[in-house]
Amino acid sequence: MALPTGMAMIEDVLQFIGFFVSFSIAYVAYRGVRQTHSSSLLRLTTAFIFLGLGFAVEGFVGLDQVIPALPLTTMAVVAGLFLETVGYFFLAFSHAIDVMISKKMGAALLIFPVISLSGTQLIDILSILSFYFVLYGVVETVYSYARTRRPDTLLIAVGLALIGIGTFVQWLSLLYLNVDVLSLLQIIMKEIGLLILFTPVLGFAVRVRPDGTV
Amino acid sequence: MRIIADVLSTARNMNTEGNGVGVTMLLRKGNMSYSRMSKLLSELVGSGLLLELSGEKISKYMISAKGIQFLSVYYQFEDFAQSYGLRL
Repeated sequence: MALPTGMAMIEDVLQFIGFFVSFSIAYVAYRGVRQTHSSSLLRLTTAFIFLGLGFAVEGFVGLDQVIPALPLTTMAVVAGLFLETVGYFFLAFSHAIDVMISKKMGAALLIFPVISLSGTQLIDILSILSFYFVLYGVVETVYSYARTRRPDTLLIAVGLALIGIGTFVQWLSLLYLNVDVLSLLQIIMKEIGLLILFTPVLGFAVRVRPDGTV
Repeated sequence: MRIIADVLSTARNMNTEGNGVGVTMLLRKGNMSYSRMSKLLSELVGSGLLLELSGEKISKYMISAKGIQFLSVYYQFEDFAQSYGLRL
């Protein structure tokens, strides 16, 4: 996945922006957990912490193309993707009402790296798992929109869909290593999706309700 | 937490005459047993979210400034969660 230095640098910057955006959302969601003790917000916090860590690790891994002295190991790439996949898992299952199902799947995800697979196979599997988790999140969010008819929920579904397409393009970039632009395209799509997911945080910051009304 | 928000919003919205809301009204909106509601009300009064107005026979309840602030924050996070298609 060797990119030209300019593209690699743009990708790296985008990864760190992803880290910042993810942690900003996680921070607001965590404040919500403290105030309301909501398990949904706890899952949302966990999701964005993992996503943020995933972006950070992938950003540091990508630095080796900008600073060649840094060693790039396949396991570091796998670790970044794994963190991101866990983030998508929690994001998808923030919606899950049946907690038992998510617990079982969570356990399956935890034992997943124990299975002896090559680094490349792991990267492939993590990418496609991320795609399915995001796809599930999109379906659940669209379902939620059908129930509430809130435009911002539809916007979040669009953001998740962009992230989903981004993870699919990421998987394609692993199959077609000679097409450099796929790697950059996937991070741009994920980044736009993530920025859309950031909009409720902006709304939260400017909203004023002095009388406590909805 | 949802129950607390429901009780507080009932105490705020149904207090049209300014002399508080009775337990019967809170029970109707809260949909819970009398003993559970009594326990919850004493906890809310203890934490300063509700004010107890003692009458001759029955007590009435009014939301406090702290309670209004709590509801405001609760609804903000409810709105935040709903943006992501989630329920608190």
